[in-house]
Amino acid sequence: MPISILPPQPAQSRLPPDPDSDHDDEKVTLNEDGDFVRMASSQKRPKAISIVTPGEIVTSDPQWMRGHGTYLLQSKDSTTDGSGSDAEMEDGADTAAVGGSGGGSIVATVAGTVQKVNKLLSVKPLRARYAPEIGDLVVGRIMEVQSKRWKVDINSTLTAHLLLSSINLPGGILRKRTSTDELQIRSFFSEGDLLVAEVQGLFQDGAASLHTRSLKYGKLRNGYFLKVKAGGIVRGKSHIITLEAANGAGEVDVILGVNGYVWVSKKVTLQAPPGGESITRLEEEASEAIYSNVNEDIAPATRREIARIGNCVRAMVSWNVRVDEEVLNAVYLSALELEEMGIDGEGSIGSGVEYLEGEVGRIVVLAGMDRVSSANLRAGGMVE
Amino acid sequence: MSRYEILSPEGLRTDGRRWNEMRRFSPKMATTTAADGSSYIEHGNTKVICSVNGPIEPRASSARNSERATITVDVCFAAFSGTDRKKRGKGDKRVLEMQSALSRTFASTLLTILHPRSEVHISLHILSQDGSILATCVNAATLALVDAGVPMTDYVTACTVASYTNPDESDEPLLDMNSAEEMDLPGITLATVGRNDKISLLQLETKVRLERLEGMMAVGIDGCAKIRQLLDRAVRDHGNEMARMGAL
Amino acid sequence: MPRELDPTINEKSFILDALNQKLRIDGRDLDVFRELELSFGDDYGLADVRLGKTRVLARVSAEVVKPFTDRPFEGIFTITTELGPMASPAFEPGRQTEQEVLLSRLIEKAIRRSNALDTESLCIVAGQKCWQIRADVHFLSHDGALVDASCIAVVAALQHFRRPDVSIEGEKVTIHTMTERVPVPLSILHVPICVTFSFYLDGEVCLVDATLQEEQLRQGDMTITLNKFGELCQIAKAGGLAINALILLRCAKIALVKAGEIAAIVQRRLEEDAAVRVRRDNLLESKADNERA
Repeated sequence: MPISILPPQPAQSRLPPDPDSDHDDEKVTLNEDGDFVRMASSQKRPKAISIVTPGEIVTSDPQWMRGHGTYLLQSKDSTTDGSGSDAEMEDGADTAAVGGSGGGSIVATVAGTVQKVNKLLSVKPLRARYAPEIGDLVVGRIMEVQSKRWKVDINSTLTAHLLLSSINLPGGILRKRTSTDELQIRSFFSEGDLLVAEVQGLFQDGAASLHTRSLKYGKLRNGYFLKVKAGGIVRGKSHIITLEAANGAGEVDVILGVNGYVWVSKKVTLQAPPGGESITRLEEEASEAIYSNVNEDIAPATRREIARIGNCVRAMVSWNVRVDEEVLNAVYLSALELEEMGIDGEGSIGSGVEYLEGEVGRIVVLAGMDRVSSANLRAGGMVE
Repeated sequence: MSRYEILSPEGLRTDGRRWNEMRRFSPKMATTTAADGSSYIEHGNTKVICSVNGPIEPRASSARNSERATITVDVCFAAFSGTDRKKRGKGDKRVLEMQSALSRTFASTLLTILHPRSEVHISLHILSQDGSILATCVNAATLALVDAGVPMTDYVTACTVASYTNPDESDEPLLDMNSAEEMDLPGITLATVGRNDKISLLQLETKVRLERLEGMMAVGIDGCAKIRQLLDRAVRDHGNEMARMGAL
Repeated sequence: MPRELDPTINEKSFILDALNQKLRIDGRDLDVFRELELSFGDDYGLADVRLGKTRVLARVSAEVVKPFTDRPFEGIFTITTELGPMASPAFEPGRQTEQEVLLSRLIEKAIRRSNALDTESLCIVAGQKCWQIRADVHFLSHDGALVDASCIAVVAALQHFRRPDVSIEGEKVTIHTMTERVPVPLSILHVPICVTFSFYLDGEVCLVDATLQEEQLRQGDMTITLNKFGELCQIAKAGGLAINALILLRCAKIALVKAGEIAAIVQRRLEEDAAVRVRRDNLLESKADNERA
């Protein structure tokens, strides 16, 4: 499939072209696809996005409940001495009652966009630290080992806790933790280890409690860690993606933590013995190796593709493209194609073509998007 | 410098401004990627860069408060920022006072109650000094806090006002002091919260007649409102740009 | 750092409810200082200020030193403050806390930078010798309003202080002992008085001279320093609750009245003390000295 290769543009045009002024050709094809909204809906109707800033009155209509990113300004006098109650914006029910009776106005506390869910009005900040939610898949790093738990950096406001009781202890089947486990807590995770986990619950102050009680979760090895801006990874169907890497590199796993931490690694294959094995048996086998600190041997070709995929993720995030399996695959293929052709067909980039910052990244991402949209069109055509 | 040069008979100041004119104010937000929020403000020749980290896990256990977020401020004067190259030490009382004033100013404006047991760290670097330093620090910190998405009741904006004594003993407020005016004239630094004239920070360090305070405050409140507009525009521009990039 | 215990919930709600009805728990009106007791020591330059339970001691001493090279015609005036565990168990000795830094900066700005003391009069031989005046402030008991009390203590001690007389004959400088010649008072240009306001209930209630408990519960504060001539020396409102400008101006007007009252009390006590001294020591010379000054 031919892809459109654009002439290089000056570096300062980091923005996609203004949808109003110069609607570029590749943008048009992109927008023809009616239900294709990945490249941020804003590009279709940029005027619809309005920014509110702190202190701005969002509405004085008493029908709205205030959500995150807002506070209630009493119309009589601004804030009472119990500004605490005013600021408890988490508590929707309570505030709704206040809003109904007091007739105050809802005021934004952060700069961002207004979001309305039923009667709940909240402001989503332009940028903020990751706020954990139950069920989020996160990649984290052990900061501190305590007697019965680990403190894990997950890029959020407070460090998360991983209790000794919420990991898979070795020795197969789920068992109760013992004092021996407590003593050898460092043999499971020690300072600096990376892990993938799920947010199990939240403490009162917003700190997350994690668990790794699944085969999918646990210690990370054989790979490459990268951090993208929080909010760059959107909550989606699946956060663990397996890609078929080119150049004989085998399969590569990508773990997209919702907190903006990403792990790209060589696919770990569990050596399940042939023949029907029960799940518990598998788990038992797995748990032996699960806390190992030794990396497997990774071929140079695989390392290369891991780096390339990492850069693809980075480029996608910096160009505000939602990272999911389909698009990542397409962008990765485009990146490979780019290496074959060179950026302007002259092969001028040379060897360091895994590098996907700036303009190169934009071209690759756009080409990847094109690829996805045309595939979608074809698929749609077939259905009809 | 004699007093007459501060304001010429035509009503122009040394740098050609009128009494109610501010120096060029150019705010930029999201200037560094490492921090959660950052800003850079040029106010005339005063240049301040600010980065905000947080809310984060407190770095020192003393900064942990189980009810609200703690705000810590680091102010650093670059050695090359003034006319003579001089490094201000960490323990300088003036710097400590500035830090405490900034942290208390934002403690009352940010909704710290939403992030208990955490810390919001504001770090300010003064790259070039030409008067109104505390005011510029307040503005830079506000912008960086907005960028970091830390919830606040409203913008905190600050400016300075000098009180000039005409040859005929009448007084005239001068908005936004540069360092020459700061040297020769008494003046106030004033920060307001939001659009109404609620004053969160007010500092006066030189002797001045009590009667002049009202006039200076009135001009200062107008100046703060103007700066609020400018900051607000910077935030909106930034937001619209992000929207155009498709980041929202 | 050991922290001062916060008032209990009961105390808090009681005090705030009372303030809401414009009442203070010690029965004072909102804009009334506690009883100011000021006493002087036997020596010159020792002032002991009691404001309710707050007690601050200021000692002024003088010494002949070499002036700073960049200011050869001026004497040196320093104020040191020490916030030790004597004032309150919450203060640790040795380490400078933020509170102490702010306190000493405030007093410094209020008295030293407003030129309350004429430093040029302290010069003996330009570039060679000058008086260094030190004011040491000791906090003996902390029940709020430390700034106000220490400012009163320092200005009272400065006015009370007498330095030894000097005579210059050519290159030779003689410092006369107190018995030899009548010591001379310092040249005080004006008497700055600090008034600290505490804000509650969104600035609807503002108190002067808050006690420790009231200080712990306040939402914001502002210290205004001025003299009885209506010259502002310093204003410090460092953050805290945002207050309407009109309220701040009203506070400044109240502060002017208070400053006049306090300065008058200090003046009266100084005169009383001088009278006592004359009677006790039968120092007729000191009278002559007063006339000379």
